[in-house]
Amino acid sequence: MAISSPDLLETIIDVAPDSTLSRLRALRPDIVRHTQGSYDVLLCPADPGGLSLAERALIAASVAEASSHPTLAQHYRGLLAQRGEPADGERRETILRHVARVTTAPGTASRAHIEALRAVGLTDRDIVALTQLVAFVSYQVRAAVGLALLAQGQAT
Amino acid sequence: MRAKRFTLEAVDWESWLQPVTIDTATPAQRAALEASPQAGSAYFRTLANDVDSLAERSPLFHAVMYVPRGLKRAERELATVVTSIINGCVYCSSVHARRFVELTRQPEIIRALYEQGLDAPLEPRLRAIVDYAARLTRQPAAMTVADLAPLRAVGMSDLEIHDLTNAIAMFANANRLMQTLGEPVQPDTNAA
Repeated sequence: MAISSPDLLETIIDVAPDSTLSRLRALRPDIVRHTQGSYDVLLCPADPGGLSLAERALIAASVAEASSHPTLAQHYRGLLAQRGEPADGERRETILRHVARVTTAPGTASRAHIEALRAVGLTDRDIVALTQLVAFVSYQVRAAVGLALLAQGQAT
Repeated sequence: MRAKRFTLEAVDWESWLQPVTIDTATPAQRAALEASPQAGSAYFRTLANDVDSLAERSPLFHAVMYVPRGLKRAERELATVVTSIINGCVYCSSVHARRFVELTRQPEIIRALYEQGLDAPLEPRLRAIVDYAARLTRQPAAMTVADLAPLRAVGMSDLEIHDLTNAIAMFANANRLMQTLGEPVQPDTNAA
């Protein structure tokens, strides 16, 4: 994984070494470790099951774009370019529709949406992985925004 | 019956998938469940279908919500309730509102938020927390460094702001899992 980084959030926010933010993050090593660990198992799993690596990159890029985070969107688009776009068709459309729903209106999801995902071949494991991916990038966007503000605020 | 209203009562949760059963769990699933807050719950057993992501998420959640020092636990809980109200997560808000009340003995703060909305009158420090949580939940991309000023004005340190940010972000995560893999149900109708 050429784009993979030991601490992606640090790269995305551009945390200067020895800055106050860098020291704050060092006080929370488990957060840093398992944020990156979540990225690794969701975006670069050893066994992706029925949700391909390309689909995972596409899902993450969609969430970052819908959340208006250009730096993360660019990162995930880069990953998608490396892996190649998943084929057009019903499976891709169903996945992207569900990803948009979970990203922007999670309260509107229903059992019928799960059935639609099953109908295009996703297993329960794949559906959990898809949902964890959307949930993770939604977390990552907000952590990146808040920590970047903290870094800027310290510079003034 | 689906639970629709924000409450300080306990709520159950019913999965739309097939939760892993303890009897048939692999050793890795069992280990990931044991590291989760409630190993036996249908929610964590549902997440155990994708064991590697659960094995990372549970320690992440634990560190964000319970790591010592920095932002007080009750204030982390309050921020997660605000995020859960905005995202409409009846189950998450019930659990974390009750944690907030256990820690503070102030159910009236939660009732005010439930009944009057997020603009309910609050003391300045809680007001600043609620406003920051609402903004980071709804419009992260529109935020600027000015959004930190109210937190600093009530004396919040950088470490506290760091912890607050992570708690809010964690519930952008939790609310999405909880609301799209199953639904909250009234305990008395969930005898199974």
